[in-house]
Amino acid sequence: MTTQGTAGVVETPAAAPAAPPGRTRRKARRTLRARLARDWPLLAMTAPAAALLLVFHYVPTLGNVIAFQDYNPFVGNDPIDAFLHSEWIGFGNFEALFRDPLFWGAVRNTLAITAFQLVFFFPLPILLAILLNSLVSGRLRGLVQSVVYLPHFFSWVLVVTFFVQMLGGAGLLAQQMRQAGLQPWNVMTNPDGFIVLVTAEAVWKDIGWGAIVFLAALAAIDPNLYEAAAADGAGRWRRLWHITLPGLRPVIVLLLIMRLGDALSVGFEQFILQRDAVGRNAAEVLDTFVYYQAIATQQWGLGAAAGLFKAVVGLALILTANHVAHRLGEQGVYSKS
Amino acid sequence: MKPSLPGASTDRRTLLRLIGLGATATLGGSALAACSKEAGSKGTATKADAIRSVLPAHKPAVLLKPDVPGEGPIPDGYLSYPRQLADAVTEQPGRGGPAIRTMSPWWGPTPPTLGKNSYLAAINAKLGVDVDPSLQDGNTYADKLNAMLGARDVPDILSVPNWEVDKIARFSDAVKALFEDLTDHLKGDAAAAYPYLAALPTGAWEYSVWGGRLAAVPFPTDGPFAWALFHRKDLFDRAGLAAPTSPDELYELGKKATDPAKGVWAFGSVFDMVQQLFGCQQTWRKRPDGGLEHKFENPAFAAALEFTAKLFADGLVHPDTVASKGADEKQLFKAGKILMYQDGLGAWQGMQSEQTQVLPSFDMQPLPLFGAGGSQPLIWGSEKPIFFTFIKKGLGKDRVEELLRVLNWCAAPFGSREFELREFGVEGKHFTRAADGSPAATELGRKEMGAQYTHIGGRMPVKVRSADTPNYVQDYIGYYQKNIGLMEKDLFAGIKLELPANWSKILQPTDDKILDILRGRRPLTDLEAVRKEFLTTGGEEGRAFFEKALSDNGR
Repeated sequence: MTTQGTAGVVETPAAAPAAPPGRTRRKARRTLRARLARDWPLLAMTAPAAALLLVFHYVPTLGNVIAFQDYNPFVGNDPIDAFLHSEWIGFGNFEALFRDPLFWGAVRNTLAITAFQLVFFFPLPILLAILLNSLVSGRLRGLVQSVVYLPHFFSWVLVVTFFVQMLGGAGLLAQQMRQAGLQPWNVMTNPDGFIVLVTAEAVWKDIGWGAIVFLAALAAIDPNLYEAAAADGAGRWRRLWHITLPGLRPVIVLLLIMRLGDALSVGFEQFILQRDAVGRNAAEVLDTFVYYQAIATQQWGLGAAAGLFKAVVGLALILTANHVAHRLGEQGVYSKS
Repeated sequence: MKPSLPGASTDRRTLLRLIGLGATATLGGSALAACSKEAGSKGTATKADAIRSVLPAHKPAVLLKPDVPGEGPIPDGYLSYPRQLADAVTEQPGRGGPAIRTMSPWWGPTPPTLGKNSYLAAINAKLGVDVDPSLQDGNTYADKLNAMLGARDVPDILSVPNWEVDKIARFSDAVKALFEDLTDHLKGDAAAAYPYLAALPTGAWEYSVWGGRLAAVPFPTDGPFAWALFHRKDLFDRAGLAAPTSPDELYELGKKATDPAKGVWAFGSVFDMVQQLFGCQQTWRKRPDGGLEHKFENPAFAAALEFTAKLFADGLVHPDTVASKGADEKQLFKAGKILMYQDGLGAWQGMQSEQTQVLPSFDMQPLPLFGAGGSQPLIWGSEKPIFFTFIKKGLGKDRVEELLRVLNWCAAPFGSREFELREFGVEGKHFTRAADGSPAATELGRKEMGAQYTHIGGRMPVKVRSADTPNYVQDYIGYYQKNIGLMEKDLFAGIKLELPANWSKILQPTDDKILDILRGRRPLTDLEAVRKEFLTTGGEEGRAFFEKALSDNGR
């Protein structure tokens, strides 16, 4: 594993403003007190966010100890006590997890879906953003944009129901085909085509939403570049290739790395809703596995172990992808200096 | 969605399918390496005799003689609403303590909360103390409950459906840590202080004992059957279809009734009912040699599976049922898009009453039961209470007594003013009285009421005729009386079981595999392999556990 010994992901780019050269030495000698006196409004403004981070991210992280316990929430006198009194079982939960062929089946499905969606879903919002950006009429663009991002706000239940009503065995398409004397297609219940179906649903739901970031990045590209290129005789495709795409590259790389960090999360409701239709072999992903095998059966420790596994894999992927991005001369998600 | 009350059994269907406890099983971690231990409970069983000594002394409290008397677990039926109501509770239960926070399940839109709800205000004024209910969606109740129990943050009064109890690992630990021991308040003659709690059937109380102590007030079932196979009798009659008397006739009927071009299919989900028609047990049955036999080992299960798989393969099941968990079969059934589906009997009166307004000829009835190959069907069911009501631990003796008096008020029987207020609200506001004296809910009543008091107090179930469902009481009680003899005996009645983790773990994966066969994704011959996998990865451990529980109790 190539984690390249970085200091860790929390290392944010230092935001200290570059002080004018002449005053540097004097400032460095300021006492802590003096700095507090100067900076307290800034610190006060950061405090709520930091407290939020601490309370809802760092403290709950400690709860991961149950991955190494036979956790029983009802021993002892209070919830904290339950952590202390539950029996330590070392790596028992991890062993049970890694021994379970169902777990590996779920991991395989999850990775397959991630890979498929990286190729067939990830580029689409970029294309949509470029397309929208090339529309001259602001009103038309606004309209199209609203129409394509609206589905993002629909719940999965609604999206799946919509697909069933359109493409299902009693849906619009099937009834039309029956009336035309044709045998309806088996779109919603075909395990082999499931990966295409879920990707299509995801595209329908989220393509507009995904395009927002790219639209913002496109707006930041200096229009002078296009004018200059056009004056030099560059056609539409050359401008796309040499100005638009390079301008988008940092954002694309950033989002790609973040998506890789989420490689083991492909959603939950979408899969649980369609599970019966195509069967477990096609629809079991890591999150549904955890739900059925850890939460529904209250094997909290096993669930925490699966969660830790997911986090470790995600971290490794982020670090690797970031490293590769650096090698290719990109900024990536973070850098050491 | 119209709530199916008071029998929450309807919605158990959705829930079971969602969480996957319906049928059963696969691979789990088996032998583990020596350096680390295996997590998860090995299961426990509390003996039945330990239970009997802590039960309340039973004292019936019936105000009105029933027109159609039920028997045992079958509720009493009344064909008219009484003109004269009695006061059931003379002493005000509340002593003005702080507001009582409660949580109970509800299947429908959430009613307004305390302070914005005139129904709550009316009853709280009677009680002399504020009840502040939190209603949670019954279909996702487990999510809320799990978080609440894990955080040990429970309300003063908590209603827990029995099917949730079965799913919560180490529930007896939770009971001990979080809920008040009610034994000293309700054991034997002490229960006489709460006459309507003492009137609840002893069979229901037996299930309310954890670790040898009385821990909850039961909400008795209004009918023990888990399922019925409902059919649209009005549509059957119009098409000249006769009720089938054998599986073959059922299949032929399905073929005749299905017409995809019109968007009509014969069946929704029916697999649980088909198993019962074929005479298959719900989980275990006794072998002649005394051991237990799982249903997968019963040839009747294979036959039921083959039959139902054929329904799917031949396209007799509605595509929405095939395609997603979200299929709303109630809607399809109401619209006549499916003619038969399985549901809890609790769904009956609500749907009949609602649909009569839309289509006066609407008539849903359970399909008369028949067996396969000349044998009798075996009907699944149990007398387990629908809900258990728990009281938070450590509130002090006076407060616990106040809460029990409130529960006693909430359990007031049919024919009392308290019953009417609880079930129908205030006359002229939440209901109007029909010519025959029976109450009919108004818009406000439907909006403000969500069984806030009914679901926490264990009322005696009754069936009452209403103007829009004139035949319901006779039909309902008649169906039970006719078929109660076919009900499977609960081998484990009175024994509190905490299932081993390895057993719980294999249920969903096995369910998935059976489903694969049912839907034709795997051949029928794979059943043999599925059964083997099931038995080796936790099934045998489960068998040993259940057999030991029986032998420990001398059964």
